[in-house]
Amino acid sequence: MARELPYIAAINEAIHLEMARDDTVLFYGQDVAPSDDDDFVKAFSRDRVRVSPISETAEIGMAVGLALAGYRPVVELLMAEFMLVAMNQVVNEAPRLHLMSGGRVKVPLVLKAGYGFTAGWAGQHTGSIYNMFCGIPGLKVALPSTAADAKGLMATAIRDDNPVCYLLHYLLVLEHGDVPEGEYLVPFGKAVVRREGGDVTIVATGWTVGRALAAAETLAGEGIAAEVIDPRTLNPLDTATILASVEKTGRVVLVDQGTPHGAFSNVIAAGIADQGFSSLKAPVKQVTALDATVAYSEPMEAYVLPNEEKIAGAVRQVLGSAPVAA
Amino acid sequence: MAKSRTAAGAKLEADTGLDLLATMWRIRCFEERVAALKRAFKVYGLIHLSIGGEGVAAAVCRQLRDDDGIYSGHRAHGHAIAKGAPLAKMMAELMGREGGVCRGLGGSMHLVDRQHGMMGATGVVGGNLPLAVGDALAARVRGGDQVTAMFFGDGAVQAGTFAESVNLAALWELPLIFVCENNGFAEFTSRAEHSTIEQVSDVVAPYGFERETVDGSDVPAVWEAFRAFLDEARGGRGPMLLECLTYRRRGHYEGDPQQYRDPAAEAEWERRDPVARLQAHAVEQGWLDDDEARSLERRALEEVKDAERVALESSYPDPSLAAELVYATEECRPA
Amino acid sequence: MTEKLDAERLTWMYTQMVRIREFEERVKRTFEEHPGVIRGHTHLADGAEASIVGSIATMRPGDQLMATYRCHGYPIALGTDTKKIMAEIYGRKDGLCGGYGGSMHLADPERGFLGTSGIVGQSIPQATGAGWAAQIRKEGQVVLCFFGDGASKQGAFHESLNLASLWKLPVVYVMENNNYNVSTRSDQEDANAAAGEPLSTKAKAYSMPGVTVDGGDPVAVHETVGEAVDRARSGDGPTLVESKVYRLSAHGNLIAPPGVPLHYPEHEAITTFGNREEYEAALRGDPVPRFRMRLVEEDTLDPGRADQILRDAREEMEAAVKYALDAALPEPEAALNHVYA
Repeated sequence: MARELPYIAAINEAIHLEMARDDTVLFYGQDVAPSDDDDFVKAFSRDRVRVSPISETAEIGMAVGLALAGYRPVVELLMAEFMLVAMNQVVNEAPRLHLMSGGRVKVPLVLKAGYGFTAGWAGQHTGSIYNMFCGIPGLKVALPSTAADAKGLMATAIRDDNPVCYLLHYLLVLEHGDVPEGEYLVPFGKAVVRREGGDVTIVATGWTVGRALAAAETLAGEGIAAEVIDPRTLNPLDTATILASVEKTGRVVLVDQGTPHGAFSNVIAAGIADQGFSSLKAPVKQVTALDATVAYSEPMEAYVLPNEEKIAGAVRQVLGSAPVAA
Repeated sequence: MAKSRTAAGAKLEADTGLDLLATMWRIRCFEERVAALKRAFKVYGLIHLSIGGEGVAAAVCRQLRDDDGIYSGHRAHGHAIAKGAPLAKMMAELMGREGGVCRGLGGSMHLVDRQHGMMGATGVVGGNLPLAVGDALAARVRGGDQVTAMFFGDGAVQAGTFAESVNLAALWELPLIFVCENNGFAEFTSRAEHSTIEQVSDVVAPYGFERETVDGSDVPAVWEAFRAFLDEARGGRGPMLLECLTYRRRGHYEGDPQQYRDPAAEAEWERRDPVARLQAHAVEQGWLDDDEARSLERRALEEVKDAERVALESSYPDPSLAAELVYATEECRPA
Repeated sequence: MTEKLDAERLTWMYTQMVRIREFEERVKRTFEEHPGVIRGHTHLADGAEASIVGSIATMRPGDQLMATYRCHGYPIALGTDTKKIMAEIYGRKDGLCGGYGGSMHLADPERGFLGTSGIVGQSIPQATGAGWAAQIRKEGQVVLCFFGDGASKQGAFHESLNLASLWKLPVVYVMENNNYNVSTRSDQEDANAAAGEPLSTKAKAYSMPGVTVDGGDPVAVHETVGEAVDRARSGDGPTLVESKVYRLSAHGNLIAPPGVPLHYPEHEAITTFGNREEYEAALRGDPVPRFRMRLVEEDTLDPGRADQILRDAREEMEAAVKYALDAALPEPEAALNHVYA
């Protein structure tokens, strides 16, 4: 049975269910349950639910130590940018230890953080920096775009035997959606087709999925059938679903809230060029944020972001351009 | 507030003393052979030796159980050996062989031997201090009497991770014993160039937990100081900090030109060599005679030779392992 | 030697405290009076005015400071035009930083305010670097580094204070201890606080003096920070000053996606811990009226003059709000400027 829940409640539900299911799941971080009058504390005690100082390096490093000692910590980091304070733990410790031990240890942990909070939070709290975590072998990256996925990807992240950056989108936290009750898992590395169409493939993540679907709706009125794909996890990436769609449509628009240089859309574009070139009827088009730190003031903030109009415009462009010789 | 206790003049039982001496010889002979093999290009990569620091590794690790975790930094051979890692598996690891403790994927700086409680080492100074806090927190959540020991050098003390870890360990009163091997050098520079605080134990002065500084080449003193801390930690108290003043008798890494060294200090620390000192003490106490003492070294040399032979017989890992082991899978269960 | 505070100087200090308070009252009121005008996150320093002004009063021309995202008070005391500050918070083109930074990222380098970090603790090494620059310049400059109690659990705090002590840098570390990290109490996250010790105890680890002062008393702050500034200026190195304050507002305004009206909730003592008594006791000790009463009782300040200071400040902030509301928003394309210097 599904019922409507906001995205943020769906995440908490997943953590709660996993903690009830598995005693080794711990939950801690800054401002996690400072008061004892908290659902997690009441259900799971202070041993498993802790509030921690603003010490990101220690918070994440401890999670690695807990994981090596047999636990599955979920660390609340609030903002993706706060992980940058502890880059060594995120990039150089957690994802490397399994391989360097010859597979003899594993580091199952979840780094839970929000991103993309373009709501007037200026330059240090609004970034879409998931691309920074995608190039790290051993580190998985999940980007839920719906309330159901928010629940299912969190449960999968907790059960995964590897470090996972679970990056929720701050603009989606109050969005409601149907969420299955009880145990619900969304597999990693399995993209979902949010809307089917035969003329053009749009790949989008997180908050931009909604923008892409809105653009697809507008385009439908113009007789253009857009297919919208949400990869849901960037590492692992379901390249097969994207390539199958490109084979059908021959035209691609890739949407990414990150800035263009080193955007994750670059990686998808390279994959299509590598394995799907002969299907293409037009150059691959990327709609990313513009190349700037996000400014505080609203007109400037809106200007740099991908939006419905930019996506629709890019689709019209790939449909209008001359075919590329295969 | 910090309580100071002195362990100088501490006494060891004969069998304990002999076990420590044998362990130290195994570490010494292993590392000297590693140095030779490094020059012969038979072991790879960056090699950091702990010659001169064997007493700390032995006196701490030989008191711990297999289910007590230890973490170490980049100079970790001695800790792993003292904790129980088999020499052949250690040597094979340094040679990049399948039979190594990490199947040849980690090497000298990333030794792991979970079976004996060697939880990990790191190539980043101070990088795994919080991991040890996590290990001690796990022990606390689990509810047993396990204790975690964290080995680190004086260079790690200036890293932010140190302060964050100390605060948390103190706040949550975790069963964690910080063991600092203050060898006078942070990589290539002396401590005075890194901090105004000479003794590392004084860096934790703001926190009211027990701390002690001992001569790291006085093995009975290290044993005694650590034993007292361990008893308390087993009883659920913590953290504590044990600072052992040692001397790094080789370069920061094998091949280091070492233009920064002071000949007077060299001579002084040669005189204070912990292996020779404990051996002399053992003879003096009548635990063994001169012949038996010499045979300890010989036995260690034999063991290292055997380890080298076994390691050389071990094949290199299948290259595909490098890609297979990026992600843990359901089948992977901690050893 | 720390300057002796005469009536004129004390009155100046009181005036700055009132100006900061009145400015921030208008920031708070803007959420109700002009919904949507302020976006994102603002953090108020009400309760810390005495600490800010007492510290800044020790500065000489050429001295510098760095601060946290709770940063409105510093430029006000340094003399930055409040119209420009309010316009920045309203995201206007003519704001102090052109609408790029907003409430959390004010800077006015011409007055010595080098800037802030929105990330806890991260401006501490930056201020330490500014201290090194001052040492190299040999012009007797001092850098004040402001941060909160939470930041002292950042590795960056430890690394910075060690270096500053080792190199005898002319930095004064002013920790404004308001006892809360957002909604976590210090004794829940700090081993010293949990042991009932002052946080200035941490200075022991760096062989530098560590002192604790009542941050609600601007004269005491001036004296304590002043001694530290003298020490720094004479080349004897840094000091850690713990200034104990009580934040009279919540950590910040409500955090919500665009479209949800923002406002200031009640203080976390009430919302998280249900401890209204603690908050009300803090209100009774509010440093602004407390300082006024003291100056009036000591005959340093005439009550009529004090009322006039308040009226002037209110008028000034009314004008600041009006200016900021009327000011133009930036051109969207300007978003791509200033990415590179």
